[in-house]
Amino acid sequence: MAFAGIFLTAVLWAATPGGAVPVHDRPDTLGAAAVTSEASSIVPPRTVGQEKLRLSPTVTSAVRRFAGVQVRDYGGVGGLKTVNVRSLGSEHTGVFIDGIQVDNAQNMQVDLGRFGTSSLQAISIYPGGKVSVLQSAREYASASSLYLLGAEPLFEEGRNHSLKAGLRTGAFGTVAPSLSWSRKFSSGVSLATCAEAVRSTGRYRFHVKDYRVLDDGTTAGYDTTMTRANCDLHSLRTEARLFSAPGSGDTWSALAGFYASGRGLPGPVYKRADEYPLSLDRQKDRDFFLQGRWARPLGRRWTVMARAKLSCSFLEYQDFPEFRPEGSAAVFTYTNSSAYASAAALFRAGRYWKLNLAQDLQYSYLDANLASFAYPGRTTSYSAVSAMFSRGGLDVSASLLLQGTFDTFASSPGTAGGQAPSGSPVPPAGGIPGGDSGSTHGIGRSRATRTVLMPSLSGRWKVSERFSLDGFARRTFRMPTFNDLYYTTVGSKSLLPEDALQFSFGAAWSPLSGPEGDLSLKADVYRNYLRNKIIAVPTSNQFRWSMYNLGKVRMTGAELAGEYSRTAGRVGFGLAGRWSFQRASDLSDRDALTWKGQIPYIPLHSGSADLYATFDGWRLDLICFTTGERFSTSANLPAYRLAPWTSLDAALAKEFKVLGRQATARLSLNNLLDEQYEVVDNYPMPGFNAMLNLEVYF
Amino acid sequence: MKKNTLLALSIAVLATAAGCNKEEPLSKDAGLEGVNVTEGDAGSGHAKLFVLNEGNYQKNNSTLDFFRFKDGNYVTDAFSSMNPNVTQGLGDTGNDIALDDGRLWIVMNGSGMVHVLDAKDESLIATIKVPDPRFIAFGKDYAYVSSYAGAVYGGEETKGKVFRVDRRKFTVEGSVEVGCQPEGIAVSGGTVWVANSGGYNYVHENTVSMIDEASFKVKGAVDVASNLHLLGSDRDGRIWVTSYGVSTWNQDASGNWVQEMSEPMGLFKVTGNGSETIAGVHASIMTCCDDGSVYTIGNASEMSGGFDNTLYKVDASTGAVKAVSLSGTDASKVSNPYGIAVNPDNGDIFIADAPYTGPGKVWCFTKDLTLRWSAVAGMLPAHMVLY
Repeated sequence: MAFAGIFLTAVLWAATPGGAVPVHDRPDTLGAAAVTSEASSIVPPRTVGQEKLRLSPTVTSAVRRFAGVQVRDYGGVGGLKTVNVRSLGSEHTGVFIDGIQVDNAQNMQVDLGRFGTSSLQAISIYPGGKVSVLQSAREYASASSLYLLGAEPLFEEGRNHSLKAGLRTGAFGTVAPSLSWSRKFSSGVSLATCAEAVRSTGRYRFHVKDYRVLDDGTTAGYDTTMTRANCDLHSLRTEARLFSAPGSGDTWSALAGFYASGRGLPGPVYKRADEYPLSLDRQKDRDFFLQGRWARPLGRRWTVMARAKLSCSFLEYQDFPEFRPEGSAAVFTYTNSSAYASAAALFRAGRYWKLNLAQDLQYSYLDANLASFAYPGRTTSYSAVSAMFSRGGLDVSASLLLQGTFDTFASSPGTAGGQAPSGSPVPPAGGIPGGDSGSTHGIGRSRATRTVLMPSLSGRWKVSERFSLDGFARRTFRMPTFNDLYYTTVGSKSLLPEDALQFSFGAAWSPLSGPEGDLSLKADVYRNYLRNKIIAVPTSNQFRWSMYNLGKVRMTGAELAGEYSRTAGRVGFGLAGRWSFQRASDLSDRDALTWKGQIPYIPLHSGSADLYATFDGWRLDLICFTTGERFSTSANLPAYRLAPWTSLDAALAKEFKVLGRQATARLSLNNLLDEQYEVVDNYPMPGFNAMLNLEVYF
Repeated sequence: MKKNTLLALSIAVLATAAGCNKEEPLSKDAGLEGVNVTEGDAGSGHAKLFVLNEGNYQKNNSTLDFFRFKDGNYVTDAFSSMNPNVTQGLGDTGNDIALDDGRLWIVMNGSGMVHVLDAKDESLIATIKVPDPRFIAFGKDYAYVSSYAGAVYGGEETKGKVFRVDRRKFTVEGSVEVGCQPEGIAVSGGTVWVANSGGYNYVHENTVSMIDEASFKVKGAVDVASNLHLLGSDRDGRIWVTSYGVSTWNQDASGNWVQEMSEPMGLFKVTGNGSETIAGVHASIMTCCDDGSVYTIGNASEMSGGFDNTLYKVDASTGAVKAVSLSGTDASKVSNPYGIAVNPDNGDIFIADAPYTGPGKVWCFTKDLTLRWSAVAGMLPAHMVLY
């Protein structure tokens, strides 16, 4: 698998030649080579490489290309975008940047909309989690994983720095300038920095329509054009990465990131009386993190690796200002701080056997301006042991992860204040902001402990150079989040972790390679079970809802992916297609209308196809996504159906020289068919839009 | 919840309505077939049972259903079928439904509107703009609508209002300030009674406000209980109100967190001079029926954290209480009772059932809780009125 090849070399920072800029060949030392050659995941991931990443300014648009992946998109530039792999829910998908997980102790939803792709080298998805050597223990803990890998800087011959300036502009009043600067120091250490600012009104037109056939056979209904408002976004994202010098015994890298944004939250579209606006809610974010990893071979048999991360996320949320134009909004603030450290060791036990040991510790604390808040702190310990056997074309790995979470929280939450707005099953948050937040701080803290054991087994058999089989079976648990547990009126402090059981089997075939082109095909079938799924249900008092482990889902799925590419002289072209089938049945309640219904927002069928052609520095891409009908509840009645949709995007790019410098211009035409659709009920997606992207290398 | 005032009015209107139906066998909504759920009862004193599905908050999926007595059919989403050109349908979060002089008034909390429909065929007559409307009741010349009036959960303390709407012209004719987050409302003896919840306040309200109908000024308030909710007046004009109770979270011996009630979700009788607790009655939903009884359903085990949904029938004049646990009856299948109505003619009990996961159901039981029929409703069926 070329994908796996690219990824495994990338993952431990061996130089990967490629891209537009020529590079020096870097001689690998024996040590680094020894590390890199062993870094492949047993079940190979699906990867979007740098070339195709350039077509996708955001991670979301790149991730949509994977089979079996559902992006929940609330629409627009600033709308929340989360990823859901094989129907397990976004809380079960770990998102990793440069090998270290992105935290969100509050709700475990990572907004992919805020990651850019310009500094990335590859995005990979592991539907069954990653299993490779020198892996941190935490990497065994997610049912599926999404890896964003930062690009090591490349330098032209004779230069030790590079500068790239970019500008993205077009639809939604978007102006997004970016700057990347890289420098190689005499020690061989290289630095890559980038910054991107986005300013966007986010506004777009959409249709609200409903037609129905009347009993006399005629059709009647309405079709109104509206403009999405309060969806502006202002953001600044900066990143700096340091990479160790090649050729030394140690390999290390470090990453510092800062993200700041302010955005309008347009909310769902619903009927409001004249002059009453829809949501005017606003959200402000400030995220900062610092992380690094370091690996060193110790003799012939051992290699060790350490990882660490510090992060702090501040969120401010202004609630319902539209209800009270003359008054002040309710302001909720949350600050999530965390620290993480990991040590991993690889032991080569013999010719065929390798042993991987890892121990991680993570601490998270959530502060908020809510009275009677629980101020939860969570220490998580991950201990993993994994044995790998490789002989001939066979690779098998068995691992065991012990995860324990130790929560402490203010134990006198007091009177459950407030009730849900009518019709809202879950109140927005417990407590009232602006209360005496110091009163319960640190005093009378209680403890809760949850321990789980997660086994996994994965294997791959290369039957021949062209054909291989792979599979995995694993059990993972998703710990209840702070939101699940500690919102005073909602949280149920005795929740169990969600239990996910996965079985998957796949085959990969590369019938063609060489001058006639490269053809690869991949097919997978899988079965997942989700038990103890955390859902909100009424308590003994129906007006106060609580979280319980009542959900049960069974998923059966199949995925097919194929890719063909060929270069003939100055012309290159390729095409790829993916199809995914997911039957995700809600088995929570035998007596309910939801029994055996397809769970919300998961289509039975979905797929994508893309096509590219290159000629003399020109590149044309066409991408088509299609999603079948979905339902907004597990009761699959017509009233809750969301229509299928298809979107067609095109991008035309040209590489050229300006004043002797390399430049690229790309025109993206998105949703060419102007399809009006919704991914999430009542959150309309934009119709046709165009963006222009310019990049100049200095 | 249905105001008993409107029930009274609906009954008053009934004879006429039924008469009309006979002369004009094909109402415009006769073409809506719906689903047959039971045998038709042409002799019923009622034409329809209207069911308002609240819908999910901000999901714009509130719908109006009805059960037609004549053919035993249950019709879903009747409003959109009869008014297909109305953009975005009924709207968001229907919170109350009431009958007045052959017209159906529907209070849309999320949309900030009150719709007036022709009860005969659900055609839209007028839409009135009212901010955060909650419940409605009718006096001589006006409809009275309680309103949160801009209060938000977690925001600064904001007094609610009662808006006055002309019953014939459908125009707002002023408002008066009451307590925080007013809920149930009724008109009796020249007074508009409003239950103040203070549900957004850290310390809840505990009063019923009294507004003089003639001057449209607040003339006083009566202390009742914390966090009041539903309010209605019975056949003889007595005022009944429910409270949400008081709950706390506590850790039990094994370290599990359980919700404990320190005050139950109770029922109270209110007069201008004070209030009286109806002992032993738990009430999360309530209806004042023209058979002279107040019916509630509540969880009899709520104080101990258990589940025992129980139907209470309170004799409005004597205060005598009859309690029947739903478990062990056909009504044990009701997952989350969210609305109740009673047919005064035969004592049939209609329960709107809003399960936590998907669409709800409407159940019809005889007065001894034997199942007559059930039907699949929309999202969160809650408010019902007999026509």
